[in-house]
Amino acid sequence: MSGFNEDNMGSHAQLSSQFFGDLLDSIIVDVASECHRIARLGLDRNLEEEEEELRLSAQARVRVADPSNSGEANSKYVVDIFGQTHPPVANEIFDCMNCGRSIMAGRFAPHLEKCMGKGRKARLKVTRSSTAVQNRYSQGSPVSTYSPYSNSTSTSRLSNGTSSGAGEEYSNGTFQEP
Amino acid sequence: MTTGNPSYTNPKPCKHLADYKLNHGLSGYKSLQKHLKTAPHGKTSVGKPSTKTPRCISCDGFQGRLYFCLICSSVSCLDHNLLHTQSEVGHDVAVDIERAELYCCVCCDQVYDPDFDKAVMSKHIMGITGDKNGDESIGKRLVKRRRLGSGVVEELVDSKISKQLISMRDRRAKSCYPLGLRGLNNLGNTCFMNSVLQALLHAPPFRNYFLSGGHNHETCRKRSVDQLCLSCDIDVVFSAAFSGDRAPYSPAQFLYSWWQHSANLASYEQKDAHEFFISVLDGIHEKEVKSRNQNRDNGDCQCIAHGVFSGLLRSDVTCMTCGFTSTTFDPCVDISLDLDTSNFPPKNTANKSIKPDANSSMSTLLGCLDLFTRQEKLGSDSKLYCQNCQERQDSAKQMSIKRLPLVLCLHIKRFEHSPVTKMSRKIDRYLQFPLSLDMTPYLSSSVVRNRFGNRIFAFESGESDISAEFEIFAAVTHAGTLESGHYVNFLRLRNQWYKCDDAWINEVDEGMVRASQCYMMFYVQKSLYQKANEDWSHLPISPRRNMFGQ
Repeated sequence: MSGFNEDNMGSHAQLSSQFFGDLLDSIIVDVASECHRIARLGLDRNLEEEEEELRLSAQARVRVADPSNSGEANSKYVVDIFGQTHPPVANEIFDCMNCGRSIMAGRFAPHLEKCMGKGRKARLKVTRSSTAVQNRYSQGSPVSTYSPYSNSTSTSRLSNGTSSGAGEEYSNGTFQEP
Repeated sequence: MTTGNPSYTNPKPCKHLADYKLNHGLSGYKSLQKHLKTAPHGKTSVGKPSTKTPRCISCDGFQGRLYFCLICSSVSCLDHNLLHTQSEVGHDVAVDIERAELYCCVCCDQVYDPDFDKAVMSKHIMGITGDKNGDESIGKRLVKRRRLGSGVVEELVDSKISKQLISMRDRRAKSCYPLGLRGLNNLGNTCFMNSVLQALLHAPPFRNYFLSGGHNHETCRKRSVDQLCLSCDIDVVFSAAFSGDRAPYSPAQFLYSWWQHSANLASYEQKDAHEFFISVLDGIHEKEVKSRNQNRDNGDCQCIAHGVFSGLLRSDVTCMTCGFTSTTFDPCVDISLDLDTSNFPPKNTANKSIKPDANSSMSTLLGCLDLFTRQEKLGSDSKLYCQNCQERQDSAKQMSIKRLPLVLCLHIKRFEHSPVTKMSRKIDRYLQFPLSLDMTPYLSSSVVRNRFGNRIFAFESGESDISAEFEIFAAVTHAGTLESGHYVNFLRLRNQWYKCDDAWINEVDEGMVRASQCYMMFYVQKSLYQKANEDWSHLPISPRRNMFGQ
């Protein structure tokens, strides 16, 4: 234990810092012992490959962030790899399978929503996808901010399974309502 | 290293350990067993033989590391244990009292012996289950181990058969590009659907199943009364994607069918890619179950959705007082991961040359997986009932993967919902992910073994032979905010990355994918990935070509 000026410390303080030092040493040795065992038994992961992946990702991020690079990421597309171009709104035309009208592809979904209209009432039935409940993006649609499960109160930390009893399950299963 | 059950390198004993074993066999270990103290969290130490504090016989010290001689039980400290071997010939092997690890005083190094570890583990077992023989394996198995996919599914996902049946060659189209690469028109904020469809279209076993006629939409419609069949619609999408036509396809019929299916679910307004993915697999499964009049649980299910994506998770709940562990198994079609923050560095720090600051606070996929399999202490307000103690105790829970699927979908929880403010937000934090992923450290065998200090012991014998090495083939990324954002899929075909942005397919370099913000990552077993990458374009055109009609 270095750096302690013993003259300035009472004997209690000295003793407690000594205990602390012993505890700390013990913990350090614990870690060393575990690592030693892992290394000797060949249990260490492919650290070289892992570090290579980390390095490549770091490099990639630097390159992408560099403004002098061609802005591939967000530039407007000129042609795709097949040499085709596409309008912002898909203009293929086909018939709606619900009502029979001719609809333009890019407007099909909103049309279908209205077209299928009241026949598509949502029932609040429990689904298997309850872990995904806490992980939903709305997407551009005007009527999209909602939360069907009003008690999605558990933090995302615990949604891998709520602590509700011994032997309970990872909840890709049913969502327990209180 | 053999595939499947991760095996240890059998440590070669030093000369002194070998001599000790020769002369004393297991007797020292057996008598030490009485003194071993096992802790509920899996660690072992040597209990004090008497009430007195153990002290070094040479210096009377009691601090630092103390070693207990296996032959004469005398205690020496680290500085003086060499003295002991000099005064008593042959007393070379000792045990670290605090850690129950073997130590060779002459080599001045920690040494390992499977027989010693076995003695330690037996003590654990005896302590936990009261089994006097210590033969029962750690944790209970509540379900019989079953092999995945007997016969049918496996055959159909075998790419060999698909190759024989199918020709993808269309000389009119841009045939130098990978088969099945085709843009999908955005039908009005349907990029969430397009991005997942692209992943499904190129998941090797899933793709092989449909392309080999695993689900024939003509015979299916005739068979069933209920006209709604998501698999049929998927089959149609496959045909379109692999037809050779490169003009973007509009998956309108699929959208219509899916909306009809998901009208039964809580909401049809789902615009989340992950929700969509789950509901599609659900739709495939339900139809399968109905048509075969079965009601098997997902773990054994033979439907293509589960055959490809379903794995098995193990959940251990350990009583922190007595160490008794209750184990359950649950099937899953994906794994949802919380982002690791800089508060959680990866474990198993055998060698971590961490680069300063810039990277050490970066979230990594491996870090998220470490977090997922970390033992989590449940709060004192959620004490669980322990069968052994017969009362509620503080507990800890730990997840691990019992059986890996053929295709592993990893979903990152980028959505945060605050119960207090009722506000939701997206977590934009960058996540580093590898292109090659080794899932071995997250298998139940590795995790359980690690819980007990990595002792040499058969913890989870007979795990499936599925290899733990995976390669990424699709990454679904999300850009933008919660309310208005855009999904894009990156596909990796024959080691070239393609950006699939609805109708637009463009080649991109690997760096762009690495730097992107992933939401869902699709990994496939390495062997299947390599098979899928074999060049198909040299196949002759077969008469079956019309199967995919144009």
